[in-house]
Amino acid sequence: MKNLKFTERTNLNSILFIFLGCLCLLFCCDIPLSMAGIDSLVKCRVETDRRLLPADETQNIIVKVTLDALKPAETTSRPAVNLAIVLDRSGSMTGQKLEKAKKAAIEALRRLGKQDIFSVIIYDHNVETIVPAQPAHNTEWIEAKIRQIQAGGNTALFGGVSQGASEIRKNIGGEYVHRIILLSDGIANVGPSTPEDLGRLGAALIKEAISVTTVGVGTDYNEDLMARLSQNSDGNSYFVESSRDLPRIFAAELGDVLNVVAKKVHVIIECPEGITPVKIIGRDGRIKGRSVELSMNQLYGGQEKYALVEIQLRGGKNGQEMEIAKARVSYDNPFTLKRETASGLVRAQFSDDFKKIEKSTNVEVKREYELNRNALEQERAIGFSDKGQIPSAVQTLKSSAEKLKDFGMKYDDREVLDEAAEMEAQAERLEAEGMTQKSRKELRTKSYQIKNQQRTK
Amino acid sequence: MKKRTIILYWILLFVPTCIIGISAFYMIRHEQERINQEAVSSAKVRARTMADAISATVETVEDAFIESLNAIPNPLVYKTLLDWVDANPLVRNVFVWDKEKGLQYPLAGATATSEENRFIVRYEALFSGRISWQAAGSSRNEAFGSSSSDKELPGRNFSSLVQETRKFKSGRQALKDLAQGRYESEGKNLLVEAVTSVGEGGWIPWFEENRLHILGWFQKRPDSAVYGIELETMTLLSRIIADFPKEVSDGIVYAIVDGKGEILHQIGNGMIQTGTPSDQFVSLAPFLPHWQINVYMSNGMLPIESEKGFLILASLLLVIFLASIILGGLLLTRQAQRNMIDAMQKTSFVSSVSHELKTPLTSIRMYAELLEEGRIKDTEKMRRYLKVIVAESQRLTRLVNNVLDFSRLEQGRKTYHKELFNLAEYVRTILQAHRLRIREAGMNLIDEVPDEIISVELDRDGIEQVLLNLIDNALKYVTEGGELLITLKRKDKHCEISVMDRGSGIPPAHRKKIFDRFHRVDNSLTSIRPGSGLGLSISKKIMLDLGGDILYEPRPGGGSCFIVIVPCASTETILQNPDQL
Repeated sequence: MKNLKFTERTNLNSILFIFLGCLCLLFCCDIPLSMAGIDSLVKCRVETDRRLLPADETQNIIVKVTLDALKPAETTSRPAVNLAIVLDRSGSMTGQKLEKAKKAAIEALRRLGKQDIFSVIIYDHNVETIVPAQPAHNTEWIEAKIRQIQAGGNTALFGGVSQGASEIRKNIGGEYVHRIILLSDGIANVGPSTPEDLGRLGAALIKEAISVTTVGVGTDYNEDLMARLSQNSDGNSYFVESSRDLPRIFAAELGDVLNVVAKKVHVIIECPEGITPVKIIGRDGRIKGRSVELSMNQLYGGQEKYALVEIQLRGGKNGQEMEIAKARVSYDNPFTLKRETASGLVRAQFSDDFKKIEKSTNVEVKREYELNRNALEQERAIGFSDKGQIPSAVQTLKSSAEKLKDFGMKYDDREVLDEAAEMEAQAERLEAEGMTQKSRKELRTKSYQIKNQQRTK
Repeated sequence: MKKRTIILYWILLFVPTCIIGISAFYMIRHEQERINQEAVSSAKVRARTMADAISATVETVEDAFIESLNAIPNPLVYKTLLDWVDANPLVRNVFVWDKEKGLQYPLAGATATSEENRFIVRYEALFSGRISWQAAGSSRNEAFGSSSSDKELPGRNFSSLVQETRKFKSGRQALKDLAQGRYESEGKNLLVEAVTSVGEGGWIPWFEENRLHILGWFQKRPDSAVYGIELETMTLLSRIIADFPKEVSDGIVYAIVDGKGEILHQIGNGMIQTGTPSDQFVSLAPFLPHWQINVYMSNGMLPIESEKGFLILASLLLVIFLASIILGGLLLTRQAQRNMIDAMQKTSFVSSVSHELKTPLTSIRMYAELLEEGRIKDTEKMRRYLKVIVAESQRLTRLVNNVLDFSRLEQGRKTYHKELFNLAEYVRTILQAHRLRIREAGMNLIDEVPDEIISVELDRDGIEQVLLNLIDNALKYVTEGGELLITLKRKDKHCEISVMDRGSGIPPAHRKKIFDRFHRVDNSLTSIRPGSGLGLSISKKIMLDLGGDILYEPRPGGGSCFIVIVPCASTETILQNPDQL
């Protein structure tokens, strides 16, 4: 009986203990759980294209640094957006194009909330701010202003973007996601108008955390200029053949902008001694000795962005394992308003069993590498066709498609096979018709979208 | 004489008018030119103000950068410069160069970005030591000196830096803050310490493929490393554009133009193409060599009103003024001419009437004297003489009556006694009374007057006077005889009495004037047919007064046809007075 009593007491104590323990645990976990929605939204993964590497041999391998941006919890209020829409109203925009553009701008406005800032700049040969930067709640007045836009003369694209940046800058101090959406259908003919000049402007704007998304309408705009501007400022780039798609594109773009989970993203990849980075594939960056530095302006929730770096190393002994690369990511968290970091590391083992090595291939990394390589080949083909060397361009596209096809067949990758088929079709069209404006734009925009891992295409 | 007077008056009016007109036009044109000049010079002043603002902005940026470069502590040079290139939109590239070791950063090759590699190639002449830093400035001086005379020359060197306290405008302040490193760079403020050391630095404008690059350098001591930055000209331009005035007066375009003549930015309505010649320009040297602000005001690209508005308006007023003077003169001349013709006609009328009075009077007097002398015994002869006297007296009476009627009609004093009667019957009576006289005059009267009742409400005497005037005219002017056809026809609401002869008719030149007073086809005193030129004029006036009219038309087959239009009496009048018919 005593024993029983003792047991009962022990049980009671243990129940109390477990209860208190649970309570304590729940209490302690409560804070981190509620913060989990907005804290550490970026995860960093580092992978190589093969998990096993050939032993005792100098080789180039691909390192992929992936940034996984998590979606914040539904209830979390998103960071405020500072959006400037820069609309081309040159003579060529007359009619449907301008009407759809106005509609798209109004739809974009309606998606914004009261905390957001909105401005509209229009340009022909002159630049005019029709809606100065202001909170996006006075929608009726703003919509009326947008509806009044009429088509005019030339295309002062540089001036338009500059004015857009100036409107953004009025609220640059606030914790906003800054974005310019530039829409144009023509060749810039007032102000600096080379891809180089606009690229420099983009490179300067990203230093102020302003991204420019470019939307090219029709087949007459300068895709090099638009792609360079968005590439250097880390914005998206779209080619819209028919103005009907404009509202959809604006909505998609806004979906991205309203979903920013990291700003001013800075990636540093470091390799241990004996391993040297050779080149960065598809992105602009800086190689400083054994380290590589890359910047991205913004990451969107649910998006995966990555950087591919080719490195050179001398293989170790069979069975030896070593660290290949370490990545550190720092970014501004727009929810907590703090600078946060994430890091990742990749190790590899050396082997002399080629079958095992082959088997250890990381298809994901290989595939991204192939797609990026293909994007670069597309740009090379554009270069050839610009010089009038159509056969070389066709050859470049065909051999790139061949490589994609081999890869697709080997790993049974549907997406890559589709891409290869499309490339082949492009090559055939190029051979038959020469480089049409439409094909050039498709190639240029697509190559940019692949390199930038743009979601909406 | 009269014509000469008119010409003289016209000369007196026209010549001064022309002189006024021409001199006024010249003055207006001169005024327009002055207005244009004023607009051009005020536009130039505005452009100069814009240029000064841009130059001040660039100068501020450059000064502030040199200050910032000077303020970097030696151990932090690399780190600070790299932070700048990463985070400062105004910094395109940075470099560190040593006289002995050459370029220390960036190093050409795989470790440098493509941009850095291009940067190294761009400034190869400087980095290889072929051109010294100070000389690059002065050599630029020679190259760009011609574009500016009133400003400090480019490639300016800042020896012995002096800390200046200046007040800058807000737009410029932002750029200055950037240049001083007051931008957010991972939360750090890079302007570490105040300027303490004294070194040498400067700015080198550099052209590659006609594109302007601006390199700033600093050297703390003559033997130490040179380090500096390349300005991001696109950022500079982008900021300048955003701060550029937005509103300009109509018809003027201001444009920032680079060395190649390409338009970097423009304000004002009007499309300008590269290469359009400008009306005015202000150089942006030395800070932005070869760049300038162009002012466009003409060359067909602007609406014409803006440049010739005053000229057009004033010329229009002048033309209206001159036209009214000339028109006034013209009207006065016309009036004078009319009065002159009137006076001439009256003189001729008086002579004609005197002549007309004298002829019957002479006959009457001659026959009366013959009878008075009593030498005529033959009664037949006496009766004939008395007949002549009576006829001539009647002619005299008609003439005097006509003159009296004319004066009454002219003064509007003639009174009509309107009554309802049968026109056909009345016309028949008149013709019956004069049939003999007509036959004696050698004409054969044919009357086609219907038997029906044509009721009119008119003055009987008036109608008789008109008819007799027409018959007398026929007797007077148709010397060759022939038929005199008089018809009466009833039309819808009126009836027409036509008096037709087979004479020579009225010459076409006179047809419109025969009803004018004093007008005669042959107006000379020596005219073989006597007349005062009043008959038709009086007849027309009477008929108009009675609500009818007289028209003339040539008779088919030769001769004249006068149509007297007589209004018929209204049914109401006939019903009210049936007994008068």
